[in-house]
Amino acid sequence: MSYQLTIEPLGETIEVDEGQTILDAALRAGIYLPHACCHGLCATCKVQVIEGDIEHGDASPFALMDFERDEGKILACCATLESDISIEADIDEEPDAEIIPVQDYQGKVSKIESLTPTIIGVWIKLEKPIHFQAGQYINLNIPGSDITRPFSLANKPSENFEIELNIRIVPGGVGTTYIHERLKVGDQIGFSGPYGRFFVRKSNNKPIIFMAGGSGLSSPLSMILDLFENQFTQSITLVYGQRNKEELYYHSIFLDMADRYPNFNYVPALSDENSDSAWDGYRGFVHEAAQEYFKNNFSGHNAYLCGPPLMIDSCITTLMQGQLFEKDIYLEKFISAADAQKSTSPLFKKL
Amino acid sequence: MANGKKLNLKQNYSMLTKGLDWEPSYQKKQDIFPQLEFEGIKIHDWSNWEDPFRLTIDAYWKYQGEKEKKLYAIIDAFQQNNGQFNVTDARYVQALKIFINAVVGLEYNAWRGFSRLGREFGAASPRIAAQMQAIDEMRHATTQTHACSHYARFFEGMGNAPYQFDRTWYLSIPKSFFEDACSSGPFEFVVAISFAFEYVLTNLVFMPWMSGAAYNGDMSTVSFGFSAQSDEARHMTLGLEVIKFLLEQDPDNVPIVQKWIDKWFWRAYRVLSLVATMMDYMLPKRVMSWDEAWTIYYEENGGALFADLARYGIKPPRDADVTIKEKERLSHEMWSIFYANRDVVGFPLWLPSQEEMNWMSEKYPNTFDKYYRPRFEYWKELEDNGTPFTNTTLPQLCQVCQWPCLFTEPDDPTEFSHHQTEYKDEHFQFCSDGCQHIFENEPEKYIQAWLPVHEIYKGNCILDDVDPESPDYNPMVEAIRYMGLKPGIDGGLFKEHNDAMNWEKWTERPSNIHNQPATDFVRKTGSDK
Repeated sequence: MSYQLTIEPLGETIEVDEGQTILDAALRAGIYLPHACCHGLCATCKVQVIEGDIEHGDASPFALMDFERDEGKILACCATLESDISIEADIDEEPDAEIIPVQDYQGKVSKIESLTPTIIGVWIKLEKPIHFQAGQYINLNIPGSDITRPFSLANKPSENFEIELNIRIVPGGVGTTYIHERLKVGDQIGFSGPYGRFFVRKSNNKPIIFMAGGSGLSSPLSMILDLFENQFTQSITLVYGQRNKEELYYHSIFLDMADRYPNFNYVPALSDENSDSAWDGYRGFVHEAAQEYFKNNFSGHNAYLCGPPLMIDSCITTLMQGQLFEKDIYLEKFISAADAQKSTSPLFKKL
Repeated sequence: MANGKKLNLKQNYSMLTKGLDWEPSYQKKQDIFPQLEFEGIKIHDWSNWEDPFRLTIDAYWKYQGEKEKKLYAIIDAFQQNNGQFNVTDARYVQALKIFINAVVGLEYNAWRGFSRLGREFGAASPRIAAQMQAIDEMRHATTQTHACSHYARFFEGMGNAPYQFDRTWYLSIPKSFFEDACSSGPFEFVVAISFAFEYVLTNLVFMPWMSGAAYNGDMSTVSFGFSAQSDEARHMTLGLEVIKFLLEQDPDNVPIVQKWIDKWFWRAYRVLSLVATMMDYMLPKRVMSWDEAWTIYYEENGGALFADLARYGIKPPRDADVTIKEKERLSHEMWSIFYANRDVVGFPLWLPSQEEMNWMSEKYPNTFDKYYRPRFEYWKELEDNGTPFTNTTLPQLCQVCQWPCLFTEPDDPTEFSHHQTEYKDEHFQFCSDGCQHIFENEPEKYIQAWLPVHEIYKGNCILDDVDPESPDYNPMVEAIRYMGLKPGIDGGLFKEHNDAMNWEKWTERPSNIHNQPATDFVRKTGSDK
């Protein structure tokens, strides 16, 4: 038996299992609630119930006073649900976030294209249009099984009747192997979405750095297309890395865009390109390319990161040593069960 | 924000507090906040300070008032029920003595330090955070005093905390720690106390120590712990906010902050070492060993923290690896020193029983049987023969941390670690490379240290009624009087101590659950534990 939890001021609704705490459910859904001790003593995770019934669990009487209980305050780290509830938490409001309900979609594979030796593009024509924010992802139902896999949407939101997914084959992976080897044009396929809180904070109105690598290009691609469609005037820099030239898909699209838009800078980087090839761009990793391009000074920008965990990690360190800190860095964070087990420090909220 | 739309908590707070600060018009900011620049810290924009609490004074009073009401209700009930006799045994009370005599003084000094920050910081939000913490610290000092004063009606050695804190040799360890911090600049103070002490290391006090109190039936201390921990969370959050703020304001702050982290981690670690003896030797029922606590609360949690701080270019504290090498011996070395010097400390000492030593062998498989068990067994033999081992001279103190030089070399537990340096034609001694390094960075500060043993030898520790030229003048006796210790009442052997006798008389339970009863009051009940 699970209940629904609505978290204001985000307006997001998530599922909470029986016996699962509000904090656990929120963190697993990628929603950061302030917290520290995680066992009912410090009161950092105090939130207000707007509607619904809860059980306080082990909340200490010193951390959550009687008068606060009467006012509907609870500790998210201890409280479990007794009904569907909505709470108000101390979370920064995101003026650029749209609240888009998750829906199920059905469509037909309209095109499959090999983008690199390991990545294919899959286009799906939809029966009804999808509304999403550039940067969000969907959960694709793998045909013939009950598993789903998350993929970011690579098309821009205005192309709402046909979605594009860029899918890298994961050796031994059930989902991606099916898509690479068995999916064909004309197949029926379903998914749910949109998910995620990775979107451009346009209202910050700051110059933007995108750092992308591997198959993490989809979100930045959609975001950049969307920004130009909406006449974004601040400078946009894409630092885009792959191992070698063959893997550097959509390279020519970005070269064209750099010609067309004076406020677009394109910095491709190859980390493992044959040393005698004709490549005259940057050789090295994304974070190294960015450090050189920005002369180790990123302050005043907003950065959006998308790619494999090691790349994200190096990029965060590089940005911070170049004076760009947490509040100006955005990334999609997936918290796995393994992450929830390991000791973490509360120094950063969203990195 | 749209008309009629509900404000979120952050906006609400900013509306409640707007206009609390102002730009001065006829005085220079440097004149109003004169301490903000000399440490070399550069702050470009105080408005980037994220208020981690968003607590109004109105709400603060309401919360704290309610906490006080609850705490005192529990302390009252504890007193009504003679809770002091429901703790495990009279040795537990000896651990409380260290608490009352050392920690209360720390809380009081924390109040002094944060009161200064409440005046000196360059923006309203950090000033208010510091003011609230100052009031918290004073509240802790008073509630601890109240909780322990009840014990003082029944047990020795708890009635003279402020006097002893300023004079007794081993209490100069916590005292000099906090006075070192209070005599630093405002940014160093806040890194030292809010970050290195409260954030990185306080969990070591709260988690094992408060669970220790619960295990041993001391609900009064447990309630104090819960009541303080809800403040402590705010203090720890302040520690994190401070460190982020300083590191993000200017890259030049990074090396300065690193130096402070290196220094204050080591200073705080040396002070908290006292907890090691409490956990391993003084709690009659044990929660976890110091080794286990250090592994969880420093190596794991601290490891995750320093992995994140690495993004700013901050490295783990300079001597972190030494603390890991020391964790298997710290409590044993310290208990030995206290035992040997038991006639000049404020609490009586005992040797661990066979059962307790077996626990230590299990918790310290690499060190206890090899180095410490033989020593305790030999000392037991001497005690049984009526010739207990006693240290008859005063220990050499470290110029920085003021511990006796009792620790051993990081890589050799059989070799005492004695370090020495020369400055302006004088010799200075240290317990460790860590302390020597701190001295060498600021020698002019530490040559001023008031070291109790040195002062005794210099003849500065005598009361006004003493004539050092009289023929029957005994410097040791007079020094002990000066420190506020009563020979035969405060220290000595536990089994002969007033607390042990009275405990068995009043409770008819053994004063040490691991040994034979000390008196006939218990034997008649047939307890053989």
